[in-house]
Amino acid sequence: MILRRTLLLVLLLPSLAAAQNSPEDQARGLLEDGRTYRKEGKLKQALDNFQTIVSGFPNTSFVDDALLEIGRYYLEVDHDVAKAREAFEQVTKRFPQSDGAPGAYYYLGRLTMERAAAPTDIDDALAQFARVQRLYPRSEWVPRALYATGLAHRKSGRLAEAAEAARRVALEHPSSDAAPAAQFELAQDLALAGEFRQAMEEFQQVRNRYPESEWSPVALDRITALYRLYGAGKPAFALDAAYSVGAGDTLKDVRGILMTPARTLWVASDKVKSAIPFAPDGKMGPGLGGEDLQSLSLAPNGDLLVTAARAVRLGPKNLQTFAIPGSKPGETEPLEKLEAVVVTPAGSVLVADEKKKKVFRFDGKLQYQAPFPDAKERQVSRLVLDGEGGIVMLDRDERTVHVVDEAGKPLRIIATRGPGYELRKPVDVAVDSFRNIYIADEEGGVLIFSPPGQLLATLGGADVRKARAVTVDPAGAVLVYDDKVQRILRFK
Amino acid sequence: MKMALPRGLTLVLALALAAPPARAQETAPPSGALSEAVQKELGAVQDLLARATAEFEGPQQSRSIVQFDEIVTRLEVLHRQGTLPTRGREILSTAYELRARAYYNIGLQEKAADSFRSLVQLNPQYSVSKEKVSPKVVDYFNSVKKALVGYLAVSSSPAGAKVSLNGDFLSLTDFFPLEVLAGEYTVEIAREGYRTETRTISIAPKATETLQVELTRTLASAFVVTEPAGVEIWLDGQLRTTTSGTPGPELLEMVRGKGLDPGRASGRTELGNLSLGSHNLEFRKKCYETVKRQIEVPEARDYETDGIKLQDSVGSLQLRSEPPGGRIFLDGEPMGITPKDLDAVCSGKHRIEVKHTSGKFIQDVVVGKDESLTLDCPIRPSLAYLGVVAESAAGERVAPDVEEKLIENLQKMATLNFVPAPRETVDRVLESEKLTRKALLPGGSAEPDLVKKVTEKLAASLEVQGFLIALLPGEKLQRTAVLHLLAAGNTVPDTWDVSFGESASYMRFLSAVDRKATLYRPWTGLITVDSAMFEGVPVLRVVPGSPAAQAGVQPAEVLAAVDGKAVKQTSDLLAAVEGKKAKEKLGLQFKGAGGAARAVDVTLAETPQEIPLNDPSLLYNKVMMDLRQQVEGYPGTETAAFARLNLAICAMHFGDFAAAHEHLLKARTELPARPGLSQGTALYYLGLALERLGYKKEAVDAYRAAAGFKDATLFNNDGPSVAPLAARRGGN
Repeated sequence: MILRRTLLLVLLLPSLAAAQNSPEDQARGLLEDGRTYRKEGKLKQALDNFQTIVSGFPNTSFVDDALLEIGRYYLEVDHDVAKAREAFEQVTKRFPQSDGAPGAYYYLGRLTMERAAAPTDIDDALAQFARVQRLYPRSEWVPRALYATGLAHRKSGRLAEAAEAARRVALEHPSSDAAPAAQFELAQDLALAGEFRQAMEEFQQVRNRYPESEWSPVALDRITALYRLYGAGKPAFALDAAYSVGAGDTLKDVRGILMTPARTLWVASDKVKSAIPFAPDGKMGPGLGGEDLQSLSLAPNGDLLVTAARAVRLGPKNLQTFAIPGSKPGETEPLEKLEAVVVTPAGSVLVADEKKKKVFRFDGKLQYQAPFPDAKERQVSRLVLDGEGGIVMLDRDERTVHVVDEAGKPLRIIATRGPGYELRKPVDVAVDSFRNIYIADEEGGVLIFSPPGQLLATLGGADVRKARAVTVDPAGAVLVYDDKVQRILRFK
Repeated sequence: MKMALPRGLTLVLALALAAPPARAQETAPPSGALSEAVQKELGAVQDLLARATAEFEGPQQSRSIVQFDEIVTRLEVLHRQGTLPTRGREILSTAYELRARAYYNIGLQEKAADSFRSLVQLNPQYSVSKEKVSPKVVDYFNSVKKALVGYLAVSSSPAGAKVSLNGDFLSLTDFFPLEVLAGEYTVEIAREGYRTETRTISIAPKATETLQVELTRTLASAFVVTEPAGVEIWLDGQLRTTTSGTPGPELLEMVRGKGLDPGRASGRTELGNLSLGSHNLEFRKKCYETVKRQIEVPEARDYETDGIKLQDSVGSLQLRSEPPGGRIFLDGEPMGITPKDLDAVCSGKHRIEVKHTSGKFIQDVVVGKDESLTLDCPIRPSLAYLGVVAESAAGERVAPDVEEKLIENLQKMATLNFVPAPRETVDRVLESEKLTRKALLPGGSAEPDLVKKVTEKLAASLEVQGFLIALLPGEKLQRTAVLHLLAAGNTVPDTWDVSFGESASYMRFLSAVDRKATLYRPWTGLITVDSAMFEGVPVLRVVPGSPAAQAGVQPAEVLAAVDGKAVKQTSDLLAAVEGKKAKEKLGLQFKGAGGAARAVDVTLAETPQEIPLNDPSLLYNKVMMDLRQQVEGYPGTETAAFARLNLAICAMHFGDFAAAHEHLLKARTELPARPGLSQGTALYYLGLALERLGYKKEAVDAYRAAAGFKDATLFNNDGPSVAPLAARRGGN
């Protein structure tokens, strides 16, 4: 294919025939074709082209670009971090003055950041991004590196610095391809920092300045969610009387509901022993079967996690059981009363078992690690990620909600009672894009708390008789399963 | 040389001296026609004459004869060739006289007589000075002469005719008897406008022949007096003469009789040599209406025309420029500073130039009689084209063709004056700093400070604001040129590739050049957000002091329609505002909480706008030229202040934080202190610039000062607040 394409090129451009024969031109052609293949999804062919440049045209000026593309392939397609890192490091060591070098530093920083397990990892990543800005100030990678700097700061919880970095991209590189994402990131950082009005304005700038970008519709959802909570002085929710979803027995014995970013509503019904998806238009899709369903959650990669008492469905095809070390060496003990499962951003799997009254951590290969966050017994019935590295744990017996980080360090707590509320029978918990926590209380409706734990609003009274499950849609509307009327209610 | 003539012929003498040389023999060739050889020969002979004369006056006078012989021999050669000029004739005459006298003094009277005869044949009117020469020699000379010459007197009616003997001019009539060599002659009497008369005469030695000739007129003359004087008279499309002078006392009555003012009228001017028939006359003078007449000339005589009075033909010009303060040049003459009214501008075509430090305006206009013409003179920056630089020998070969194509296409620029720079001027300035054109380009040898200095010098010299250089890269196929556009005083050009054979690629460049950065846009001060909760868009905030604030709009109101059109998202509102201008009204319809509607009219204001720091579609050097025009054209105004802020941003785009710092220091005092883009904005950017320059403490001070401006914004009056950003950077 490569040879045919090259020949075609020569035939089509006879005036360039003399120039086409040079290794430089051949390497350029291979690179351009490889990038085209990548855009068309022909990834293996793309990789072949890039590797041909490295091995067959080692003295041309395109080797750095080819190595960069190879690194991207290993990172984004094969998820082979080691090979990706090796390719990027080749660029930075062998071709430090090339156009590809800043890109290599950028990717090395991204690799480090996305697998960061400690603050020093984030610092290393920041150093890589800073190198791009300092050594290649006019490179097209600078805005991307700045954007990534913001992400790194945000990962560390340094929201002011994250906003600053994102602001710089929007201010200094408004036409770069990183600008829409950076503008969005800026708004999100401001929202997370509690500057809601400014956040709404900045989300609006995403829509005003980059209306065609993928971030524009997401920005609309964020503005709507923020405006609902903070726009008019106090949160404004109203029951959507026209809302109706479900068919047959799907809304009986519902153990959990979950709205995905794509607005698919999953309903885990123990009556039909399935988790059933409902599309935004209400159409029901094929369900995932399971005995004794307990809860639903989403993994960071977007996979649906369906927790049943004895096993967890990790994605549509992966059914997983869990076991912990037994009392005797070499023995294992299966976990048979699972209540909730969550996959952390670092790839750990946290499993809450009712019988053991503990949460257990398993690594990415599902090897048992230790109790989480500690060995203390607690009846955790729900586990949810808050999107910012926090793990939300609903302690049913204590009637509290704890937020801890990946290492188990406590971040926040919503106590049993506080100003204006009391948690009487909390059964489910959800988190929105801004770390606001929504607690479904069978006796209290749905209580909405800000990240520091301040009660923002209560949805209940005559509208919600027996809240059994809760979820939040991308635009901040709250969906509650009312076990009394066996309906899913929507508050918009 | 004094001519010995009878007393009664004094008048003739006066006329003769006033006329071209009165000789019967050949005339001297005009001095302009003297060849180099003749001049050289003349010079040599003159030297010889001096030596010979010295010898003549010395004790051995006879020795001078040989020298005089040589002079005679050499000059006679020229004489026979017809190339002997007037001066040569004088030398030859002197040589003959002195040789003759020398011969006489040594007793060789025959030889003396020969010399005298040659002398008289050369110049029949020659006389030997009685004061300097002995009477015997004088008598001897006269006796020789008498044997050779006769006398001729010619009179004509009218007088003033040229008399020629055998084609050689003699004198103007009427003249008393002149000495001529005895012989047969054809006498020609000619006067312009008259038929030439010819007579044949024979003149004997010592005899006097007299001719009286009636001349027959063949052409007419017209006599013209004009008011004013200095009027060109065009006859049948050809310029014949120009009236001048003033009427003499004897003509005053006649002039008045013609209806003219003697104080302004010309003298009586002859338009001679009019052939019989009909003629078209035009009387033209700048700033006067042309007068046309037809004259009939049935016979050859003098005609007296009516007085020709020309009427003023002037108009006026009112010149305004943006920016004002430009120096006006009308047909190259300085006429003041814009805005200016120019009265009494001659009707007709004029070239108007208005030169400003930030650019110029050039236009040709036609002003009609009594027309009052108002001309807006938008000043455009000028871009000097410095030429083509080639990186290879192949490029050198095609450079002239490329240059031609470039100039042809780039002259179509609409917002800049495209000026091919005089090569010598550019070379001189560059050579004074030992630079080439290539050194001004990126990767060139020159230091940035030197590039800055040289471009400022060139700009002053050429009166331009920017430069364009085309680079032909060293590629195998010579198809592209890289255009480098550089504002004066800047060091980093914008570059643009053109395929110099394709017009379309120039069009893209010209579009980019002619694009003006948006510096102001209409403004309401209304900040709305999109939300799926409402049909319209809720108001999030209202900028204090803005048009929306003045109209009483409140946050949380939901905007449902603008000018009757439903608003579904914020972009609908923005589009409606963008479609209007400042001071126009915008009708807003709000939907209340209970469904009640409220209508509000907002009078739009204007918000200044920052240039984006990095916009690949902008040519920042061109933007800088436009901004400098604002700074230099409107000093002390907010327009200039905002332009300076944007100049700082342009400087930051190029990484020139020192220049940005300079601009911001001025901008921070010139900008207003009110909500929106203001002093706080400049202070924030000043902090950024100081930080990049390494002045950390000064940067922090600037940020802290910026944080004190609570309502200052970035980007435009609706943009993000400076205070929290500055507070964070200032360590608050």
